[in-house]
Parts: sequence; structure tokens; C-alpha cells
Amino acid sequence: MTSTSKPSRPPKGGAVDNGRRAFFLNVGAAGVSTALASTAAMAASGAADPALRAALLEDEKALRKLHRAFEQAMNTGAYDDAVELFAADAQVVFNGGVFDNRSRGVGRLFRERFRAGKSGKRIEPAPGFELTADEQQEHVEVAADRLSAKAVFPYSIQVGVPIETESSLASMARLHGEGVKTWWEGGVYAVSYRRAAVDAPWEIRKLEYRTLARADYRPGRTYAAPIAVAPISTRYPEDPHGPDALVRPS
Amino acid sequence: MPMRIPMHRYEYTKLTREQIGRALRATESGPTSVSPFTDALTGKSLRIVTQDGPVLEYSFGANRRLTLSENGGPSVSAGYGELTLNEIVFFSHMIPGEQKGYNVFVDQDTDLVTVFEVWFSSGIVQNAGTPNEFTLDDREVQRQIYFGYVDKGQEPPESLHHYTNRIAGKGLYWKQDTGIETLEFYASVANTNFVELTRHIDNLSWVSPSDYVLVNDHTFIYNRTEVEFSGIHTCFVADLFRCEQVGVRLGFNEKDELEYYMFRGTGRVVGQLAYLEPFDEHGKVPLFAQQNPNPPKGARVTYRPARTFRWMSDEEVHEAAERRTAAFVSGPSGVPQVVPSGHNMPFSDILVGKTFTLRFDHGGPVRDYRINDMYKLEYRDHRDNIWREADYRAYEGADNLAWFSHILPGSKPRASVQVAVDFTNGLATSIESHMGTPYYGNETTYRAVFGVVEMEGIEAPLYTRHELTDELVGHAFSWSYSDQLTSMHLYTTPHSMSWTIFTANQTMGAQWCSPCIYVKLRDGVYLFCQNEEACNGVQMIALINTNISHDCGFSFRGGADGVSLSTTGGIGRHIGKFDVREFYGPKRGMQA
Repeated sequence: MTSTSKPSRPPKGGAVDNGRRAFFLNVGAAGVSTALASTAAMAASGAADPALRAALLEDEKALRKLHRAFEQAMNTGAYDDAVELFAADAQVVFNGGVFDNRSRGVGRLFRERFRAGKSGKRIEPAPGFELTADEQQEHVEVAADRLSAKAVFPYSIQVGVPIETESSLASMARLHGEGVKTWWEGGVYAVSYRRAAVDAPWEIRKLEYRTLARADYRPGRTYAAPIAVAPISTRYPEDPHGPDALVRPS
Repeated sequence: MPMRIPMHRYEYTKLTREQIGRALRATESGPTSVSPFTDALTGKSLRIVTQDGPVLEYSFGANRRLTLSENGGPSVSAGYGELTLNEIVFFSHMIPGEQKGYNVFVDQDTDLVTVFEVWFSSGIVQNAGTPNEFTLDDREVQRQIYFGYVDKGQEPPESLHHYTNRIAGKGLYWKQDTGIETLEFYASVANTNFVELTRHIDNLSWVSPSDYVLVNDHTFIYNRTEVEFSGIHTCFVADLFRCEQVGVRLGFNEKDELEYYMFRGTGRVVGQLAYLEPFDEHGKVPLFAQQNPNPPKGARVTYRPARTFRWMSDEEVHEAAERRTAAFVSGPSGVPQVVPSGHNMPFSDILVGKTFTLRFDHGGPVRDYRINDMYKLEYRDHRDNIWREADYRAYEGADNLAWFSHILPGSKPRASVQVAVDFTNGLATSIESHMGTPYYGNETTYRAVFGVVEMEGIEAPLYTRHELTDELVGHAFSWSYSDQLTSMHLYTTPHSMSWTIFTANQTMGAQWCSPCIYVKLRDGVYLFCQNEEACNGVQMIALINTNISHDCGFSFRGGADGVSLSTTGGIGRHIGKFDVREFYGPKRGMQA
């Protein structure tokens, strides 16, 4: 595997690419712990071959681009577009629920559950709940055969659920896209990718939301408080937006 | 004669496209007007270019006839009416043989134009593909607004008239040259809460979707369409320097008579509510285009509750009540609620250890209470003299003033009471509530009864009572039931109110209304009771304490899942006040 890590956001005054460039200039050097093991793997797999190194770099860029496309789709509420980035047999793990298959569970999660809850949109971290520098590390590993890859990307998103009431207030709020109780979640996406051939496009095989913190926070507020959110406990079809299986939340 | 049946209870005829077409033949000569028409356009031609809309080429002849070519198409001849207001020329016409027409506002100083295309028999389907799919009534006038300019060969203007929130929160009294008087509260960027002072016999307020267009700092263009009611359309331009208006009314009234007339009116501002959106939000993107930048023609954010409210008979509701009557429980398993939710006030033990009798006037109920628990009470109605046990929740709504509620077990129709007991003044008020109205079994009926509390140590007054009041009328409060659910109540008239839901940036958005009553308990302390009639039938009964800007109370409802009594309450903010009480109440006799 080839691996790169970088902070997801540059320090003030820094440049985004510095971390990554520094890594490649110092392949094998100490200092980026998650990268070290991968570096060894890369070397063992013959990544010293300049052509392969270049190809791996291109793969890494493509995967980052794919992830940005996923985030962009979530940001804009383009859930249909997001679903199209997944493999047909993809799996998403979210808050204790396992959603299987692009056309079924994954589609249900994003098109229905996320849309109804206005979930997935990137928002700034809740004050006092910012991820640590380590938690903000992005990490991409491409397998030597260039047909699979793994990555970790940090996230800071809005999550919500429709306010469960038959009151007219909620019905009316839904007319203008409200009637949803929202909060902030921060964590990391643990993603695995796959493609059928080296010249085929990458697809998301599995995406897991590993939530590290939750807070009662909406953009514009100056404070936040921690909240507990119950894991998903009802499977589909009993819950029309529910998962195919339940797991213990990470 | 003014209407007597409230609009939300009136069964408007489902006029067919053919019936409407026949009636519209009368519009071929143009609208009527009590005030003399003006002739600013006579002999002139206008080429109006609109943004994302039609190019309209008009020629105005004598005798109030015009010819129109739309988008270079063939010319049609139509009668029109014209009224000017300052620099604005407003003209209105229908297109013969079609069920559409135009209301056009031309600013002669700037050559900017706002065009309303209006039409009947839209066939617009709402909630397509869902169980709640329905087609809009043919009698409901639709409108599409286009902003444009008079093309005189000049460069297109950089800015046009535009939607605005500058009118939000304003209230106006208007009197037309027809004698029609209305109060209009623009307490939303997308709706109007209006009171027909002459068209309706009761002082009730209703809500209609509206648009607000800014012409300049003192001139705005407005329309409302009375959807869910007659479907009639009112459109005018108003000058707020002089509080004058010219406009048009188009549509079918409750008698299915076609109204197509222009009017002049004068009015006055009756107040202003604060609007709470960010200071850099100017309302230029209308609510109907915020979720969808390319909304379908005629689209509006319109609450149409009666379309989804399923009618149930009294018997059906009672059968459901027999299966399940729940008080103060949460969740499907019915866990007793011991802590109030959201921003409600805390439950109180003010009644624990007390034994008292509530005696209501004029043969009203007499009930003995003995209460030794914070959540369960015993009561005995003197009509059957049987002690019963019931779950209850109480608040201390004001100092030494208990506010509690419980189901009347075994009642048919299922009933509940919401009771304010003033242990300082010896006074009591009960809101006697039960399922069923003459219209729906799954609506609630309520009435206030006034009386006294008899208890050791209290000397109850003989004459002094709580009483119905109009002290809240004109006031608006936002009520935040939780951090993410806030509604603004506008207490519009002595018998009605509206509620408005805020959008994400606290712009006042969706709105609806209902009849209600208000009771004064003490200075600054009131009971407010409403049933969301022809909406969902839910009754809210709240104690409003304006001294602490908080309300607390109860919600009583019934439907297929049974009858339930629950709690509600929120933190309030006073949003403003309209000075309108003078407009209400019995009219004086013959006036000089």
C-alpha cells in the first residue's frame, strides 16, 4: 500500500499541500506515524518504480477528488449524486446502523434518512469540540495492485432528525425545509474504495462514520453543549428509513 | 349581507372550468370601479420586457380598450381599467376567451414594471405521487409575478422591482372606495393575516399566501389569494407616505359571484412587529424559491391543512377514546411524564395537600378536589357525587395561582378540564373541553366557565370574577417550545389568532390561524385557548404570564389513535403590538 497523510486544514499561514509534499520528500523518514507502516508496504510492493509511484500519486489524487465530490454532494443536499459514488454492493455504517447496497440501504440512508434530517452538510466544529490535530489527519492508502484503497478523512457535519410531532407547527415548518432537530457531529470517515481495473473509476465500497463528538450546536451560536444521541435501534422495514442491520456504534 | 359562516367552515362550490369560463365573459369589457378611471395610458403604446417572463406589447385606445401582443404573437383586444397612484399607473385586464389576464404596475418615473399574470383553472397538482395528492380548485386564482421595464430602446435597467421583507411585521387598516374595510397584518414574508371588518359578521382573522414587492422606500405592491377559501385574489400598490392604495379584486366570492373591480383606498398604519431575520437579509428571494431556485409557475409556500385532515365521526372518535385515552404520557409505551419537555415551565406541587371545592357560576359544574400527590388527584362532580381518580399536571402560573388539567374519566364525548385556581383571590376558571364539534368528531370544543374556589382560609368573592378579555389583542409573542421549534402567536382579534413559523434564519414564514378566546386572570396573566379548526382539531390551552414572558399549559386532541392530554409551554418574546382593539366589538347604531 502507498499511504499519505496530511492535516485536513492548514495551520494559519500554512499551505494545504505542505504536509503531503513533506511526506513524499521524506519517504521513509520518521514523524508521520500512520504513514510509516504504509511506506514500508509501498516500498515492499515495488513502489520505488517511478512509474508506479506516479500512478499511485494519481490514484491518491483521484481518491481525494472522489471524497471531495462526496462531501460536496452532502453539502448541497445532492444526496442522489452522493449515492452514485458508491459501488453497487456498498455498505455504510452510521450511528449503529449498517446500510447495505447502493440501490437499497445506502440509497435509503442518504436519500431518505439524511434528506429528512438535513444531515451530512459540513458545518464548522462546535466551539470547544474541535478535533485534535491527530484526529484531523487525512490518510490515504492505495493497494499495490491499485484496485483497492483505504482512507480516513475527518468530518464536521450537521446531523438531524425530523421533529416527531403531528403538530401544525412541525407541518408548517416542513413547508420551508425546517421541522428538523439538528446538532453537530465530528469524527472521521473510514472509507474503503474499489475499482474493477486500474483504468476504471474508483467507487466507495464501504464508508463508516466514526463519530468522536456530538454537541447541541448550530452555526452562529457561540457556545455548545455535549449531547447524547441514541444509536439507531430499529431496522428496515419496521423503520422505513432504518438500516439493514445493527452494530454497536464505533 | 356580510358572511356569517366562518370562511374555514364555508363549503365553497367546486366551480368547474366551464362555469368559470362562462362567468369570465363578463370581464371582456374590463373591470368596474367606484372611483373614476384615469386615462394616463390612453393613446399610448408600451413594450414591456420582463425578466424570465413574457414580452407584452400594449396599445391603449379610447373607451378603455387595449390591444395586447404576447411575445410577438397575434394581437387581442380587451377592455381594461386604469388607476394611477402618484407615479404608478396600474392597469388590469383579462384576455377574452382565456381564463387569464394581467395586472400591470408601471412606474412612470423609472419605467420599471411589475406584472402579475393571473389565471383560473390551473390544474396544478400538489403532493404529486403521495397519498395527499390533490388538484387546486379551479376557482383559486393563480399568479406569477414578473419584474421588467418599459422598453424605449434604452439599455435594460440594472435593477428591477423585487421581492422584499421591508413590509414584514407591518399592519394596516384599509378602507376602499367600495366601503369595504379590512385589517391586514403582514406578519410573514409569505402570508397575510387579514380581518374582514365589513365582509364578515364576526371579527375573525384568516390567512392567505401573499407576495410583497418593493417599488421604492414608500411604495410597495402586494397581493393575496384566499386559498382554501374562495380563491379570490386582491392585488394593489400602496403608498405608505400617504397610506393610499389602488388595486383590483378578482375572483368568485362565497356566493359564486364574479368580482372583478378596481378600487382606491385609504388607510393607516396600525403598528409594527419586529422582524427577526439577520440585518443583511432583505427578503429578495421569496420563500417559494428558497427550496427550489426554479419553482413551478404559480408555486407558493401554502399551508393547506384541511386537505390532509381526515374527518371522523363523533362515534369513531369515542370508540378510539375507549381504546386509548392517555394523559401526560410520553412515547408509545406510555411512560408517565414527570419532567416537562423543552422550554415548558416546571410541574408544581402547589396543589399537594389541598382540599377545595370549585363552584362555577350559572349552574356550572361544582367539583370537590382532594389532592395528596403531585401527579394524581381525586375529584367529585356534584352532578353524580362520585369520587374519581385522575392523572393531572399542575404549574404555578403566577404566584399562588395553580394551573392544572385532567381528563374526566368515562366521559362521553371524552372530556377534559383545564383549571386556573387563584388561591390568593379565591377565583377559579375552568376551560371545559370535549371532543367533537358540529364539523368534525376529531376536533375539540371548549368553553370557559368562571367561579370561585371554596377552601378553608379563603373568602371567595361574590361578584368579582376572572373574565374574557381583549387585553392581548394586537400583541404578538414568539413562543419557543424548544430551541428548534418556535411559533409566533399574533392575537389578531378578540376571537381569533394566527401562528407563524420561522424559517431557519428567523424570517417569518408559514402561517395559519384559528378562532380562540382569552381570559384575564390577573394583570399580565391570561388564559389563551384555541382549537386548530379545520386544521388538525388540536386544542391548546395555555396560561400566558407576560410578566415573565412564559406560557405553560396543555394540549388536548383526539383521533384514530385515541384521545390524549399532554403538556406544552414555551419561552416568549414580545414581538410587538398593533393598535386595533378599536376596530372590534359590536358596531354602533345608526351613524350620522
